Amino acid sequence: MDKSILSLTADLTPALGFATMIGLGLFLLVLSFAIKTALVRNTHDFIIADRKVGFGFGVGSVIAVWTWAMAVMMSSAMTFRWGLSGLFWFVVPNGFAVIAMVPFARILRRNMPQGYTISEFVQRRFRRSRVASGIVTVTMIFGILLEILINLKGTSVVISTVFSIDWKVAAVVGIACVLTYSYFGGLWTSVMTGTLNTLMVTVPAAIVVAAVYEQVPGGAAAVFAAADAADARNLSVLRPDAAAGFGVTLAFGLLAATVADQTFWQKVWAIKGREVARTFFWAGALFYPIPICLGMLGLVGIAFGLSTADIGGDLAAVGPYIVSHIGLPLFLVILYVLAILAACYSTIDGASAALSSIVAVDVVKRYWPETREGALFLVTKLSMLLGGAAATAIVLSGIDFTTLVLTTYALKTSILLPLVLAILWPRTNTVGFVGGVVLAILIGMPIYETQGELIGTLSIVAISGLTVLTAGFFGSERFDVSTLRRTADIVIDDGAGVPIAEPAE
Amino acid sequence: MSAIFIAIVAFGLFGAAVFISGFIVAVREAVRERRDGAPEGEWVDKGRYGWSAFFAVFASAVVIALAGVNPLWIYAGPLLAIVTATGVGIAFFVGRDKGVAAPSLERP
Repeated sequence: MDKSILSLTADLTPALGFATMIGLGLFLLVLSFAIKTALVRNTHDFIIADRKVGFGFGVGSVIAVWTWAMAVMMSSAMTFRWGLSGLFWFVVPNGFAVIAMVPFARILRRNMPQGYTISEFVQRRFRRSRVASGIVTVTMIFGILLEILINLKGTSVVISTVFSIDWKVAAVVGIACVLTYSYFGGLWTSVMTGTLNTLMVTVPAAIVVAAVYEQVPGGAAAVFAAADAADARNLSVLRPDAAAGFGVTLAFGLLAATVADQTFWQKVWAIKGREVARTFFWAGALFYPIPICLGMLGLVGIAFGLSTADIGGDLAAVGPYIVSHIGLPLFLVILYVLAILAACYSTIDGASAALSSIVAVDVVKRYWPETREGALFLVTKLSMLLGGAAATAIVLSGIDFTTLVLTTYALKTSILLPLVLAILWPRTNTVGFVGGVVLAILIGMPIYETQGELIGTLSIVAISGLTVLTAGFFGSERFDVSTLRRTADIVIDDGAGVPIAEPAE
Repeated sequence: MSAIFIAIVAFGLFGAAVFISGFIVAVREAVRERRDGAPEGEWVDKGRYGWSAFFAVFASAVVIALAGVNPLWIYAGPLLAIVTATGVGIAFFVGRDKGVAAPSLERP
């Protein structure tokens, strides 16, 4: 296939790009204002949606927050880089990571029905240990910042590739759009706009990918033949180099990204209790088709013999490049951009909502428990703006955020098994939990740096898990899970001094 | 336009219609529940997802592998993406009439 036939679709002007970003933002702003008016009265509504998120909104919003820029653009990129093996290793652990939440979500929702954050659970689980809960709180905040900045980066990549807008300007406009609408309604806004964004990702993506194959001379058969001719391994899912290159590491990273992520735990405590397990199962299973669908754009990139230089030096740009250069009608290109923006916006607003719950419960209410509702509500909302501003500053500074990625990765991977054991195993104790995380970082990260991702990741997971198990077997402590039921809703001081809910006991 | 493309567009419109219908129903229900103010009743979740989860993971792997066997399977991705939209739409309806009128855990 001759890549010289690829040329940028006409009329993809910067003005159209801004109109697309801001238009989507304004639409979601109107929606969020209506949501706020109907559903949000106080901090409890803002950060946990009064625990009344239903099954449909649960499924849609979990899919939305998990559909990162990574899922929509990296699925094409990994296929472009490794053929179908890249797609296989990218996709299969991705959906599984969501489904893997089912047992943990069910246990914690049942035993701690009025929880808000995973850090709050750790604090109660380990006798109010500030070290243990502090580690988890910091990990969650780092993870949220990373989610925001990666998706901001995704927004800027697609907008700069398609509309030739400066990526820094695209990042600023993107974050302004998201924070403006998510500021109003908190979790309810995030859940409803995110769910709607799931529709905006799925159906447009399906139509655009099918249209791309229509546009290729010879269609799917020609792409299939050209990809095979380029390298027969492109059509195999069994390339060992893809597994060793990123697959196994990614699988652990993705598990840590759900189990050790407040964005998901916030949903666990916001969704109606009887629907929690089913929600995560449906969300994981229904998530799969999204990256599979968009990953097919990577095969087109291979078939045309594109190089990384052709698409601007960033593998993630392969999807946007193909869609905007293959000769699709303008409205289909816009539809694709809207799908990517919907994915990025929904993940950023989900992360911002999670940050608001951490600030309210793990910072303000923990250290200043007498804070009145008005002040708490304001601080909670402002924290979303602050988180967005911090992530934007990191992106705009142009600094290599490898350090943040590595730090977050180290914390999340180190915390994975200790957290799982804290939920499942009553003998897990504070020494084991804290020791496991600290030793995994101190010993595991140097191994990661010197021996590579695969051995490093396995070492971190093994060290953290073994430390917790050793401390548990040698210790005499047995956690009484019923104490978690003493967790109460945030007391909403509405002037009459009446809490909105009492402890469950 | 090929038949498969037309089918994907038609199926996509159907999926979007199911999704939007369910979305509207669920928004109304959320607002009504907020006005009622009643907390969720006591619940027991006995759902088992082991085999279903295995099937979902396995099916995703098989679909990707099949895209390397015959070019027609390339279209499975777009078709399944529409299944996702339709599935979420169905979830709105499935979760609708499951109210449990049991005593509350949260508020005596």
